[in-house]
Amino acid sequence: MGKGGVGKSTSAALFSTSLAQKGYHVLLVSLDPAHNQSDIFERALSDEPVEVAPRLRVGEIDEDSWIRAYLKDVRRQINRTYSYLTAFNLDKYFSVIKHSPGLEEYALILAYEHLRNKYSGWDYLVFDMPPTALSLKFFALPSLSLVWVNHLLALRREIIEKRELITKIKLLKKEFERDKVLNKIQEQREQYEVLREAFTNPEKTQVYLVLNPDKLSHAESLRIFHSLKELDIRLYRTIYNKRPVNETCADIDPVFADIPSLNFPLSDTPLIGVQQLQRYLQANDGEVQSRLNVC
Amino acid sequence: MIRILKTVKDKVVEFLRLSDEVARSNAVETIETEVEELDNIFGVLVLGSYVGMPSPPMQISLDLMPFMEKELILMMEKVDTASQPLSQLFSVLDMG
Repeated sequence: MGKGGVGKSTSAALFSTSLAQKGYHVLLVSLDPAHNQSDIFERALSDEPVEVAPRLRVGEIDEDSWIRAYLKDVRRQINRTYSYLTAFNLDKYFSVIKHSPGLEEYALILAYEHLRNKYSGWDYLVFDMPPTALSLKFFALPSLSLVWVNHLLALRREIIEKRELITKIKLLKKEFERDKVLNKIQEQREQYEVLREAFTNPEKTQVYLVLNPDKLSHAESLRIFHSLKELDIRLYRTIYNKRPVNETCADIDPVFADIPSLNFPLSDTPLIGVQQLQRYLQANDGEVQSRLNVC
Repeated sequence: MIRILKTVKDKVVEFLRLSDEVARSNAVETIETEVEELDNIFGVLVLGSYVGMPSPPMQISLDLMPFMEKELILMMEKVDTASQPLSQLFSVLDMG
């Protein structure tokens, strides 16, 4: 994570290439709508990751296609379960819903879950994150959704209890149908709890903060640190690009003092193309590898 | 004679069955109204954005929507009676 333009995409590309060179199987995916990975690796990328180097696959998520597919699925389910007229009346609602706030981060969550399941056997999944605001919404989505889901679950249980009481008194029945809404809410709760656990467990998700030596980048980095802390997510490493000699992240703010740093030495040439990335890593082998070993 | 007695017995049984049914219906009438209100609250909470109310994160509403046709219809019906809360209350309490 980090402010726009601090070098998140290049750092993610270098980090992934370095891990692949060490023999790990790595999937690098850009969740950033700016899609810089296709520029860095000089090839068109899509939702279906392609191999760009031995053991390294790269892909880019197209949010819009994930939103379209999700809404199409909801629409299909509604058409199947609703009577014709109600489904017909919802058409207007669905034509504007794709622009609703919140769907952007949910599309990223769906893509993230899909990739995590599909590449569960791989050593590393590296995500090049979107700008700060969207990234924070992405990480906050499970916790925020759980607040709502738990409230709805309690209300639904109250309704079901009363319905069962009515059925018992009126029809003397003792067996009741499973409530589909309750099932779905429980399913949602399970999904968000798994996500929240994955985001807050440092053995499953390690968040790297990329920053530059300028005041705006420092200020945004601090905000990221505190916002993640509120969500119970700890920063795993900092990557201080263009770092002035003898300055560390701890000099920016004492909160960064306990977070190990993984800094890439400044490159003389633009880091474009997988060969250029590999060349850079070979030239800076000692320094980069020793820092990677810290991880 | 036996036929007459059997008919009388059947009528009495039917009367008792109906009385039981009516008593049971009366006993749960208020709870039924309460459940209807709770269903409406649940509908407004989940599908509020459909009628311009604040709503939970969009994906929660959308995931539940395929299973909530009943609540959606109830929510729309409630709009018609929303302006007459007193007459609704009198009807629940069987007054007037």
